[in-house]
Amino acid sequence: MFGERRVWIIVIAVVVAGLLFSCIGGFGYLWYQGRGRLRVRPATPAPAATPKPGVTPAPKGATLNLPGADPPTLDPALTTDATSAEYIVEIFSGLVTLNSDMEVVPDIAKSWEVSEDGKVYTFHLRDDVKFHDGMPVTAHDFKYSIERACDPRTASPVADAYLGDIVGAKDKLKGLATEVSGVRVIDEHTLEIEIDAPKAYFLYNLTYPVAFVLDERNVERGGRTWTDHPNGTGPFRLAEYRLGEKIVLERNEHYYGEPKPALARVNYILAGGSAMTMYETGELDAVPVSLVDIERVMDPTNPLHKELTIARTLSTYYLGFNVNKPPFDDVKVRKAFNMAIDKQKIVDVVYKKTVPAANTILPPYFPNYKNEDLEGYPYDPEKAKGLIAESKYEDVSNFPDITLYITGRGGAPPRLIEAVVEMLKQNLGVEVSIQMTDWATFLMDLATGQYQMFSLGWIADYPDPYDFLDILFHSESVTNHTNYANPEVDHLLEEARVEQDPEKRMELYRKIEQMILDDAPWIPLLHGVDYWLTKPYVKGMIYPPIIIPRLKYVSVSK
Amino acid sequence: MIAYVLRRLLWLPVLLLSVSLVTFSLGLYGPGDPVQVLLGQRADPELAERIRHEWGLDRPLSVQFAGYVWRALHGDFGASLVKYRGQPVGRLIGKRLLVTVQLNLVAIALGVAVGIPLGLAAALKKGSWIDHLARIVVIGGISIPGFVIAPILMFIFARQLRILPPGGWGGIFSLKIVMPALVLGKGPIAVFTRQVRANMLEVLPKDYIRTARAKGLPERMVVIGHALKNAFIPIFTILGLMLGGLVEGSFITETIFGIPGIGRLGFEAFWARDYPIIMALTLLVAVAYALANLAVDIGYGFLDPRIRYT
Repeated sequence: MFGERRVWIIVIAVVVAGLLFSCIGGFGYLWYQGRGRLRVRPATPAPAATPKPGVTPAPKGATLNLPGADPPTLDPALTTDATSAEYIVEIFSGLVTLNSDMEVVPDIAKSWEVSEDGKVYTFHLRDDVKFHDGMPVTAHDFKYSIERACDPRTASPVADAYLGDIVGAKDKLKGLATEVSGVRVIDEHTLEIEIDAPKAYFLYNLTYPVAFVLDERNVERGGRTWTDHPNGTGPFRLAEYRLGEKIVLERNEHYYGEPKPALARVNYILAGGSAMTMYETGELDAVPVSLVDIERVMDPTNPLHKELTIARTLSTYYLGFNVNKPPFDDVKVRKAFNMAIDKQKIVDVVYKKTVPAANTILPPYFPNYKNEDLEGYPYDPEKAKGLIAESKYEDVSNFPDITLYITGRGGAPPRLIEAVVEMLKQNLGVEVSIQMTDWATFLMDLATGQYQMFSLGWIADYPDPYDFLDILFHSESVTNHTNYANPEVDHLLEEARVEQDPEKRMELYRKIEQMILDDAPWIPLLHGVDYWLTKPYVKGMIYPPIIIPRLKYVSVSK
Repeated sequence: MIAYVLRRLLWLPVLLLSVSLVTFSLGLYGPGDPVQVLLGQRADPELAERIRHEWGLDRPLSVQFAGYVWRALHGDFGASLVKYRGQPVGRLIGKRLLVTVQLNLVAIALGVAVGIPLGLAAALKKGSWIDHLARIVVIGGISIPGFVIAPILMFIFARQLRILPPGGWGGIFSLKIVMPALVLGKGPIAVFTRQVRANMLEVLPKDYIRTARAKGLPERMVVIGHALKNAFIPIFTILGLMLGGLVEGSFITETIFGIPGIGRLGFEAFWARDYPIIMALTLLVAVAYALANLAVDIGYGFLDPRIRYT
C-alpha cells in the first residue's frame, strides 16, 4: 500500500518536472540560438585600468544617471529614431555636427570648401582623430562608411533621404551601380563629395548618423551583431549594454574634439519604472516630467520648480486634411474648420498651459527663421460659419460623413481630440466620428491616402525649413499625406532648395509657408515642449531640440 | 504510461507547425507590415519595396514559411526586423524570459503559499472572520486590476515609506521583486483561495471523511491526508495551466515597475509587426502550454487512482 508521503513526493516531482520540461525546452533552444553573449563586455581595455570580466571599476571622474530606452539599433546607417540617435551621437561622429545653437560646425572635418557651382564639397579631415581602439581615421574610412550606407544589402531606411543627393548614391541604392561615384578620396585626410545640385541644406544631411564614420574591420568582423562592440570615434565608448537593463557609456580618452568630456561614466537605466520616484530618491539625475506631475513642478513654491528646464522641440501636432476628399476639397471648408477651433482654450484646459498653441506650420522658434508674423487663422466661429455658406457645399448638412483618424493604444481618444470634435460640433454643427487604429495599420492607411482627416505630428530631423515645408508639402514628396499640390509652391520650393544666399532662402520659405497657410491643408494645433528636471549638482546639461552630442558638456559636482 | 507520454509528445510538432502557420499567415496578410513601421511617416513606396525585397517579404507565403521552418529546425529563429534591428531573436527573448519566469514563479508560489492555507481555513471555519477575509481577498484579487494596485503600492511603499525600491529588477531574491510579485500574485491567491475553499466544502461532508474521523484519526490527518488530497485535483489542473502561463509576461506590471520581461517585448513586437519576435513568442507559449498540459495529465495518473493511462 503506497504511503501518503510517497504519493506527495511523486506529485511534487511531476509538477517540478513539468516546470523543468517547459523551461528547459524553452531555454534550450533559445540558449542554443542566442549563444552570443547577452551581456556586452568592454570592447577595449582603457590604458589606465584593465577591467576584469564582470567587474568594471569606475574610472576617475563623476557618473551621471539618466533614464533611457532600449535603442532599436546602434548602427548609424540604420538609425531612424531619436532613441537610437541619442546613444549613437555619443559613440560615433562624422564630418560635421551641430552645436547647441543648431549651427553646423566642424567635427572630424576641420574645414571644407565648396566649389563655385555649389556641387562639390572638399573636406579636410583632422589628422588627430582615432577610433576608440586607437587606430587613426582616414578619408578611406568615410568612403567605406558611405558606400556601406548606400549598399542595398544594408537596407538603410534613411540613406535615400540623407545621402541621396550625392552623385551615384541613388544608383547604388537601387542596385544600378556598385559604387557611389560622388564620394572620392583625394588623400588620407581629404575627402571630396559631389552632389547632384547646389543644395543649400546638404551639410545638415551630413550631421545625421547615417553619414558617420565606421571602422571597416569592426563592422566586417562583427557580423550581424557588430554593434555589441562598436569601435566609434565619439566622446564616449560603449562600455556595457545589458538589454532591457542598462547602457553604460565611458569617456573616450582619445577624444579629439572640444570640450573633452568631464564625465567619466554615464549610466542609462533602461528598465523603466517610475522615473519621477527614482529622481526623488536620487537614483536618476535628470528625468522628463509627465503631464501628471507638471502642475506640481510648475508651482513656484515647490522646491522642484528650481530644477525645472523647459525644452522646446521643433515639432508641430496637427490635424491634416486630405484635400482630395470631400468636403475638404474646398479650401473654404478647410479654412472654416481652422477658425472653428479655439486652440488657446485647448492649451489652457487640456494641457494646463504647458505647451504653446500653433498658428503656423513651423514652430516660431526655428533657428535662423522667423515666421511669427505670418498670418494664421484666429478663432472666429461666426466667420467660420460664413465661410461654409460661401463654399460649394453651402451648408454642413450637405457634407458627407466625416471621420477623423487617429492612432493610439486603445482606450479613450486623447482629450485633445475630444476637445476638437466637441468644438467642431458646437461651432459648426458638424458631427465628426473618431476612428482609432494601431500605429502599423495607421501608417498603412496613411500611405494609401484613405483618410479624410487625420491627427499626426511632425518633428524636424534637422533645423532647416526644408525638413518641414518641402518634405511635407511638395506635391511629389512621399511624405505629403494631405495630397496638397500647389504648382506655385512646388516651384518656389525647388528654387529654395538651391538658393545659396541664406537670407533670400529664408525669405522664400516665409513666402511658401504663408501660401501653404492660406491653402489650409492643416489645422496646426500645438508645438511640442519637453519638461525636464535636473539635479542642481549636474552642470552643463542641455536639452536641444535636435539630437546632438551633449554629454561632453556635462559635469557633476557632488 | 510511457507509450501514452510518447504519443502525446508526438503531437507537439504538429501543434507547433499549425500554430506557426496560422501566426505567419496572420502576420503576412494582416494590416500593417514591419517595413512600414520601420520607415514611419517618411515611407517611400519604392524604398519600402526595396527593403521588402531585401528581407524576402515579397516572396510567396509558402516559400517564406518553408524557409522559416527550415531555419527554425536549425535553431535560427531570425533576427528582429524593427524593434532591435539585427539582434538574434533568441538573445532578445532568452534573458527576458528568465526574468518573466522567475517573476511568475514567485507569483504562483505566493498563490500557493497564501491561497491554499487561506482557502483551507475558510472552509474549516465557515462563516467566521477568516471566511469573510477570504471572500474579500477573492473578490479583490480578481476584480481590482493590476494597474490600480501597482501605483498604490508604489506610492505607499516606495514614495512615502521608502522601504521598497521603486522599480527595476534585481533577481529573484531582491527586494525589487516584492511589489510586482504582489501585483501578479493577487490573481493566483484569489483563485486558489476560492478553489480550495469550494472543493474542501464539497469533500468534507463525504462519507469517507466521517469514516476517517470514526476510525479515530487525528483531525489534522483527516483534513490534510484525506480531505485536501481529494480536493486537490481541480487545484492541480489550475496549477498546471498556471505553469503554462509562466512564459507569459504582463505588459502593464512590467511597464509600471520597469521589469525587463517578455510582456513588454511581446507587446512592442506586436505593435511594430516585428514578425520574428512574434513568431518565436507564439511558439514558446504554445510549447509551454502543451507541456504543462501533459505534465498535468500525467500527474493525474499518480494523484487519482481512478485514472490510469494505457
